[in-house]
Amino acid sequence: MAEPPPPAVSAGQLTRTFQRTRKAAPVAALDRLDLTIDAGEIHGLLGPNGAGKTTLCKILATVLLPTAGTASVLGHDVVTSTAVVRRLIGIVFGGERGLYGRLTARQNLRYWSALYRQPAADGRARADRLLDRVGLADRADDRVETYSRGMKQRLHLARGLIGDPRVVVLDEPTTGLDPVAAREFRALVTELRAEGRTVLLTTHDMAEAEAICDRVSLIDGGRLLATEDPRTIGRWLSTYERVQATGVPPQLAAQLAELPGVAAVLDQPGGGIRVETDAPGAAGLVLRRLLDAGVTAVGTARPSLEEVYLHVIGQRGLRV
Amino acid sequence: MTGTSALRGVAAAARFEAATLRRSPDDLMALLNAPLLAVMFLAITRHAHRGDLAGYAVLAPAVITVWAMGLLVSGEIIDQERWNGTLEAMLATPTPLQVVVLGRVAVVTAISLLSIVESWLVARVGFGVAIAVPHPGIFAVTLLCTGLAMAGTATAMAGTFVLARSARTFQNSLSYPFYVLGGALVPVALLPGWLQPACRVVFLSWATDLLRDALAPAAVPHLLPRLAAVLGLGVLGWLAGFAMLDRILDRVRRTGTLAHA
Repeated sequence: MAEPPPPAVSAGQLTRTFQRTRKAAPVAALDRLDLTIDAGEIHGLLGPNGAGKTTLCKILATVLLPTAGTASVLGHDVVTSTAVVRRLIGIVFGGERGLYGRLTARQNLRYWSALYRQPAADGRARADRLLDRVGLADRADDRVETYSRGMKQRLHLARGLIGDPRVVVLDEPTTGLDPVAAREFRALVTELRAEGRTVLLTTHDMAEAEAICDRVSLIDGGRLLATEDPRTIGRWLSTYERVQATGVPPQLAAQLAELPGVAAVLDQPGGGIRVETDAPGAAGLVLRRLLDAGVTAVGTARPSLEEVYLHVIGQRGLRV
Repeated sequence: MTGTSALRGVAAAARFEAATLRRSPDDLMALLNAPLLAVMFLAITRHAHRGDLAGYAVLAPAVITVWAMGLLVSGEIIDQERWNGTLEAMLATPTPLQVVVLGRVAVVTAISLLSIVESWLVARVGFGVAIAVPHPGIFAVTLLCTGLAMAGTATAMAGTFVLARSARTFQNSLSYPFYVLGGALVPVALLPGWLQPACRVVFLSWATDLLRDALAPAAVPHLLPRLAAVLGLGVLGWLAGFAMLDRILDRVRRTGTLAHA
């Protein structure tokens, strides 16, 4: 009987500590993290800043060694089979840096193609195809330093794909992008799955994780908290929705606090209140009561990642 | 990595460096300084009625330029990658950093050697002095060996500067002392005796002596051992540079300081 194919990414008890200063105690960026990502899936890695997302990406990309535990890409250990892993993986870091601003996009991609050891003719053709694909063909011969942030991020993605990787690691690729650019970028990412590539996407944007991922792992403090279906993320987003309103009389605020599914009613620094909910449909109930009372300066907002973590992890008591 | 793919990597890095230098004229400032230095040195020799030293005055700016570009351009290659945010992505590719550095340093060194042509033209056009080269073969071979040795030394510099927190101060302090130790203008034989042993561990001192001898009509003595000294010290630079890069990469992967080594 044939062995099943290895997972695209596998981490076992993966630990990475950093020694900030000689006297300080080591800080764990990854703490015995176990993670398996199947081939062909878009896997979201969701966590706040400092959760250990980038550390995991760097270990998988072979630019950082783990302190303990193992990590492999398509069955190849990232420490002992570095050369093989580097041919299989492409990494895209977020932000504006990481490109050669004085060169054109075409020059950038051709250079990176050579670093991935592609024959020159193949590299040229692939660079042209990728520029077309990410919508930069018309600006391919302009200096990258003249690009907008969104264009740079698309070029980052093209750079990450130039080596034709089977596993693509995207480290917070949409940070700082405007909503339209972020949506375009996500569309490109979903195309990668159709090509059979595996994508590991780190983000602190739950809506993004819900929109494009097949599964989402939540990490914090370097530990895996849970791996969830993205629909669960969507449920959290609606469950923990917030309602903000101004001009709310104190009596009405007190009544809102008594409504089922209302977790808290908080005074806002600039005046007004924020109503936090913890049950599906509760936000609608709050909105209705406010409008019935004549309060029209109202709005809803999705909960922050930290708030969801507080609700979900708090309920579980970190026993996940 | 096979030899062929390594060569392809070197060629790609060389093309990249050439493209980058075209867009970064500030990195070529040393080539602008070379003719000015040539004017100064040639004016001094003319004023002193020492036309026999015109060859020295032409060689010195070239040697200074080769060293300066090695120090300031090649030496900063890795550091620039780090500041540009490209170093981590580069290390994640299958091409070793050493291959990239090799290709890029080779181009910088080759371009820096153009300063010899600049200096010669300044002498010819600006001062009406035609510097003869009685031993053109020796001159060309020495220049080639000098280029190779400079590239090797620059590789070691690139490794050193990426570790130094204040690389710029380090670089500045490595310029003028090495013009003296390398015998750029004043031959090592004319320096104080106590200084000469230190000069002899600098490949430039052997190279500049040989280049000056190649401009004189007399036969060039001990050619092969002297060329071997230039190349040997250059190879030591390569080895030190590559070993240093190995250590640096290992260290930053272990400590996680790649982005801020």
